[in-house]
Amino acid sequence: MKLKVLLLGIGIIALSSCSAVKEYEKVYINDPDMVLGQKKIDRFETNFQAYREASAGANGGKTGGGCGCN
Amino acid sequence: MEEKLAEVAAVIKFKVMRKTYSLRCSILFILITSLTYAQDSTATYKKRVLESTEVDLLASYYSQEGNNAAVTGGLGTEELTDAAPTIVISIPMNDDDVLTIDGGISAYTSASSSNVNPFDGGDNPADPFVASTGASSNDVWGNLTGTYSHSSDDRNTIWTGKLSFSTEYDYTSFGFGGSFTKLFNEKNTEISLNGNVYLDSWKIIYPFELRPFTEGGQGINDFLFNAYPLLGNANYDPQFTELGEKRRNSYSLGLNLSQIFTQRLQGSLAVDLVLQDGLLSTPFQRVYFGNVEDTFIQNFQLADDVERLPSERLKLAIGGRLNYYLNEIFVLRSYYRFYIDDWGISSHTANIEVPVKISQSFTLYPSYRYYNQSASDYFAGYEQHFSTGDFYTSDFDLSEYNANQFGFGLKYTDIFTRFNIGGFGLKSIDLKYNYYERNTGLSANMIAGGFNFVMQ
Repeated sequence: MKLKVLLLGIGIIALSSCSAVKEYEKVYINDPDMVLGQKKIDRFETNFQAYREASAGANGGKTGGGCGCN
Repeated sequence: MEEKLAEVAAVIKFKVMRKTYSLRCSILFILITSLTYAQDSTATYKKRVLESTEVDLLASYYSQEGNNAAVTGGLGTEELTDAAPTIVISIPMNDDDVLTIDGGISAYTSASSSNVNPFDGGDNPADPFVASTGASSNDVWGNLTGTYSHSSDDRNTIWTGKLSFSTEYDYTSFGFGGSFTKLFNEKNTEISLNGNVYLDSWKIIYPFELRPFTEGGQGINDFLFNAYPLLGNANYDPQFTELGEKRRNSYSLGLNLSQIFTQRLQGSLAVDLVLQDGLLSTPFQRVYFGNVEDTFIQNFQLADDVERLPSERLKLAIGGRLNYYLNEIFVLRSYYRFYIDDWGISSHTANIEVPVKISQSFTLYPSYRYYNQSASDYFAGYEQHFSTGDFYTSDFDLSEYNANQFGFGLKYTDIFTRFNIGGFGLKSIDLKYNYYERNTGLSANMIAGGFNFVMQ
C-alpha cells in the first residue's frame, strides 16, 4: 500500500513535469499567500509547538537542538 | 578603344561593387557581432536575488496555564509567560549573495521553573500549585543566527551556510549547517537538501531538595531538612545519583521536494531525520514513585528522583504542503505531518489556513490546526512510575494527548511603501492570534506581530 502511494506520488510529479508551467503563467503561483515555506510571523507558533509537543520537523521550523526543548 | 574603355569601366564597377559588398559584409558582421553581444548580454543579465536591504521587526507574547508541571512530577502549576522580540535583517551582498542576520531574545517567567526551589521562605507555604520567587522563576534565552546564501547566475542552484549561537542561564548551544537547492523543469521542480548540527551543553541544576545528595552534600543532615519539619516519611532518602552527561548534540538531515502542478496548485514534501545524543532529559524535572513513601515539606512533596531518559533519540518527520489558489479572494493552504521516533511517540499534525483577500491592502488569515500524539514509552503520570525502572518521566509534553489550535491573522500590505522611517519603507504589517488547547487541560494564548521594512 505504502509503495503504491509512493509510486502514485512519483507518477503525479512525473506527469506534471511533462507540462511545465511557464514563467508568464505563474501569476497565481507567485502570489505571496501561495508560498510553500513557513511565513516569518509563524515562527513563534512553530517554536512554542516545538516546546510543548514531542514532535518537530518537516515544517521549516526547529528539528531539535538550540534550546532545552525536545 | 570603346571596348577597352567599357572593359576598364566594368573592372572599376566590379571593384566598387566588391568594396561595397565588402563594406556591407563588414557592417553586417558588426551588426551580427553587436547582436550576438547583445544576446549574450541578455543571456547574462540577471535580476538581483534581493533588490535592497530588508528588515523584519517581529515580536510575540505567549501565556499558558495548566496543572501538570513536569518540574513538580506531573502535578502542579504550569503558568508561564514569554515575550520574544526578534529582528531579521537581510542584506544583498551583490547580485547573487544575501546575508541574513537573525537575532532575538525570549524572556519568560515560569511558575513551574520557580519551583525548582519552592522553599523561598516567603509568606506562602511551599506548594506545587503556587509559584515561588526564586532565581529560576524567570530567564532570558538569546539567539543570534547568521545565514549566507549564494545563487547561481541562472538562479537554478542555491547554496546556503548557517551559524547560530544561543544561550540561557542553564543552556548553551552552538549550531552550524547548510543547504543545497536545485531548481529545474523551468523552475517548476525544486529539490533541496539540508543538514544541521547543534552542539549544546547544560548547566546542571537539580531540584533544591536533591542537591544535598550530590557529591560533597550533607544528605539528610543538610540545613534544609533541619529548617523545615519533614511530613509523611521522615526518613527521606531519595534514589538519586547525579547525571553523568552535560552535552546534548543534535544532527539533522532534511530533504525537501517542491512541485508546481498547475497554474493554481503547488505542493511540497519534506522529510527530516534527526539524531540526538547526550543528556536528553531535563535535570530539574522531578519524578515521584508509586512504591516509595512520600515526604513533604509544607505542601510540597520532595522528589524521589529526577526524570531519566535514554541518551539517544532518533526522530523521523514527513510533512506535505498543498496550496491552491482558488480565486482572487481565497487561497487554500494545507499541511499534514506524520512523525515517529524511537521513544515510542508517533503523531499526526493537520493544518489548514484560508487567506481571504478583502482588499488590495488587507488579507485575513483564519486557521485551524489539529495535533495528536501517542505517549512515550517512558511516560507515566504522578506517582505512576516505579523505582525499579531504568527510564521515567512525568512530563506531560511526552504523554498521549490531542490538541486543537485556532488562529486568526491580519496582514496589511503597502506595495508603494509610502510610510517611511529613516530611509526604510514599510512594506507590510502582520498580526496573528492563536488559541491552543489540549485535552490534558493545558491551554495557551499567543499573539504575534511583525513589521517588514525595505530600504529605499
